[in-house]
Amino acid sequence: MPWPVTRRLIGTRIQRLDGIEKATGRAKYSFDINRPRMLHARMLRSPHAHATIKTIDSAAAEKTAGFRGIYLIKKAGAELFFAGDEILAICADTEEHAEDCLRAIRVEYNVQQHVVKEADSLTAQTNVTGGLGANNIVAAGDFATDNFDTVAFQGAAATHEASYGIAVISHQCLESHGLVAEWDAKQENLTVWASTQAVPNTAEGLRVHFKLKPGEVTCICNYMGGGFGSKFGPDIQGIAAAELARSTRQPVKLMLDRAEEVTVGGIRPSAYGTVKIGGTKEGRLTGYEVDCYGTGGVNRGPTVNFGLLPYVYGPSIPNVKRRHRVVRTNIQTARAMRAPGHPQNAILTEQVLDDLAARLNINPMTLRLANLPPNDLAERQANPRTYPGQRADIYRTEIAIIRKMCSWDQAWHAPGQGGKGTIKTGLGMALHTWGGGGRGPNPTRVTINTDGTVVAQSSSQDLGTAHRTVMAIIVAEILGLQPTDITCIIGNSQHGPSTPSGGSTTCPGTSPAILKAVELAAEAMLTALAGRLNVQRNQLSIAPGVVVNAANNQRIPFRDACRQMGVPNVQANGDWPVQKDLQSNAVLREEWTTRLTNQGVGGVQIAEVKVDTETGVVRCSRFWTVQDCGLIINKLACESQVAGGIIMGLNYALYEECIYDRQTGRQVNPDMEFYKLGGIADMPNIYVHMHDMPERGVIGIGEPPTIGTAAAVGNAIFNAIGARVSHAPFTPERVLAALNNRQAQP
Amino acid sequence: MIELETTEAGPSRRQFLQGTGAAVTATALTGFAASDTPAAELQPGGGGQVPAVGPGAAKITLNVNGRDVQTSVEPRVTLLDALRNYLDVTGCKRVCDRATCGACTVMLDGKVVYSCTMLAIEAQGKAIRTAESLYNDGKADAIPVAFARTDAQQCGFCTPGFVVAMKAVLEANPQATPAEVERGLQGNICRCGTYEQMRDAIYSLCNTKRV
Repeated sequence: MPWPVTRRLIGTRIQRLDGIEKATGRAKYSFDINRPRMLHARMLRSPHAHATIKTIDSAAAEKTAGFRGIYLIKKAGAELFFAGDEILAICADTEEHAEDCLRAIRVEYNVQQHVVKEADSLTAQTNVTGGLGANNIVAAGDFATDNFDTVAFQGAAATHEASYGIAVISHQCLESHGLVAEWDAKQENLTVWASTQAVPNTAEGLRVHFKLKPGEVTCICNYMGGGFGSKFGPDIQGIAAAELARSTRQPVKLMLDRAEEVTVGGIRPSAYGTVKIGGTKEGRLTGYEVDCYGTGGVNRGPTVNFGLLPYVYGPSIPNVKRRHRVVRTNIQTARAMRAPGHPQNAILTEQVLDDLAARLNINPMTLRLANLPPNDLAERQANPRTYPGQRADIYRTEIAIIRKMCSWDQAWHAPGQGGKGTIKTGLGMALHTWGGGGRGPNPTRVTINTDGTVVAQSSSQDLGTAHRTVMAIIVAEILGLQPTDITCIIGNSQHGPSTPSGGSTTCPGTSPAILKAVELAAEAMLTALAGRLNVQRNQLSIAPGVVVNAANNQRIPFRDACRQMGVPNVQANGDWPVQKDLQSNAVLREEWTTRLTNQGVGGVQIAEVKVDTETGVVRCSRFWTVQDCGLIINKLACESQVAGGIIMGLNYALYEECIYDRQTGRQVNPDMEFYKLGGIADMPNIYVHMHDMPERGVIGIGEPPTIGTAAAVGNAIFNAIGARVSHAPFTPERVLAALNNRQAQP
Repeated sequence: MIELETTEAGPSRRQFLQGTGAAVTATALTGFAASDTPAAELQPGGGGQVPAVGPGAAKITLNVNGRDVQTSVEPRVTLLDALRNYLDVTGCKRVCDRATCGACTVMLDGKVVYSCTMLAIEAQGKAIRTAESLYNDGKADAIPVAFARTDAQQCGFCTPGFVVAMKAVLEANPQATPAEVERGLQGNICRCGTYEQMRDAIYSLCNTKRV
């Protein structure tokens, strides 16, 4: 069952099915669900970065007008690890009353020592955060290739050593985390409308908490307002809402407010490091050494991914030394954020490359071309369609395309030669890679009804990637219809399992199942029709809009063909095949990963910036990218994902930072006024070129385009002003400081 | 909290302060110092009847998308919360709740306002329009159509705010240039980053080829 070779719809630009509903405000997000008799809940959170609870007095709150219920998450004696750590939830008849109730609660704390700055944590001798363990190091790694210290920079014509870094940022989902919970009259079945990237997981998390039987919790998510890796389960606020709904016997809505969303809704870990790199005069890299650290909150390490350094260039740099420390801080726990760890890795590799290129007097594009990760020949022989087998070719092709797109050869200049006026122009580039492979189970059901309507159904969710439309395109492609002919029902946990939408896995994880389902449904339809028409099954085939009967050359309109099936409907289920190796128990899916879906992409990005050397303000004026993602399903939505990822990267480069106050341990900008996100006027025109490789199968596109952007901007600033701004976000203050340092040096 | 009797306009400030126990409880909510200050001294101009509402819920009438609708809200309730929580008009979204992101944008007598930063009681007597007004009898207005056609939205949570902001610009000046329309969107934020596609939508609405 391969993808159709001639594709009528797949890979074209197709408008999303629910675009009008969303744009006219008629689409009901979880935040928009209002149930009869619904109560509103609010949560009380720690004002201290580290404390224990002495007492909780809710007597006054319980006498406050409108009070309906309280759910204690923590009891007296419990330890609180960051400002924002949850203590309890209360609900009332109105949101206003819920806030009154919250204000009436009195909590006494034993305030303890805290640390919120990475560098402070790194130098602290003892564990002051209260996190598990003896010291402040959550995770650490030391790695070096053989004889690194003697051979790494031996043949280098130049070396460069400098520090680079990027701050903790927040997911800032526009629809905050939360849900509406409602129990049935017997208090046996729970329904939640949740803002989630994982519909079945959210239902399952609640089912386990309440010790219910399978099927007794239903999670619904018809529309969701933003998820970048932070919404994979009910979370504590979801459990609190469901507990309150049960104790009050009324539906309860609990959506986080903006300050909560920023302080508890997930962060991307920071990364700071000193990097040394060396290269020959021809530009061959000889060694890369990094000593870095970052924080992912009190007890988090894995999503920092420092072990990947030196990132894209790992396979091409012969000598590597890596030391990393993930430190505890009294801030919220990191959650996977769009390409976890990768943008930080790009910051710690791509920028030092340009600094070395300047020392070697080499064009940074030339330096990259000389150090592309080589094709993995063993891999290539085993399977020519995988990323490792052809990565050098992919990057080389993409760089050739982008070089023309941005007129690199004419526009690039040596660092610091960005023009005569006070506003300097510069170009900078970066490479990136990501997996983006899918997996099952993602059972999908396709129903063809006698009236010609077609319904596709699964429990998966649409985060804004136009997933409904992906389903419709594939079903319509096979049935000879238009995407608007297909009704797609998603976002309901009762429809069976599905994989969470994270890591760019939804499109590749669901597409094979959708294809399988619709092919089986088409087969069932043609078999039923053949019986009714008294012809052989193989004499019937589907063409755009019609079923063709080869026996008499008749072209039966699709709707008429459905009417003639003789059964009310035909239905088929499709999913990934679960084939296991009997000895190793490993899941076998070779054919699927190489022909229907795949993983591993490479991309290249180039930023043009204008730096005002009097104010330090950086504007990204134009941006180019060339990106592969295998077989594109919907080019319109795909290009939008890429441009959107770049804009998220531009925010990361120029504006975003969670700023924590050393004294109070609280975040000073848990909002959108002082936590900056760019508006339309701040964003450049973005030129996206999709490097189509349909023979590879479907690969996800959510993460890749946001990875290299901040590093590309950093390099463009360096190119414009000839000074390296070491830490992102590249704020005016930091740009001016970098310019002053340069001027201060001889 | 002690519930006060409310008339359609709510109790007057004089009545409100004359209530013995009520005065003390309620003053804390409204921000007055709880004291024996004579009521007259608290009134603007030093006397006369000033209509006032609150602190309990008061009946209000809002004209939403061409229809008069009634509900009962406390004076502290924002227009956004009145629309969303009391009238089930949810096209306007609550995101920053501080007049920064524009997700709550509505039109008030044709002008855009952040409904999160206006009290519902202040919006009485004005024509309130939300994104829902741009869909009638199964037909969508040109602006949401352009958003859908150019895919100028991903998660879509900010989109109704952008659509309303754009509608206000183009209604005020149907001949607006793409740059002028773009300027009208500067009070709105999209986290998914669909500005590039919004520019496509703007150019198509302005019948201008984007170069």
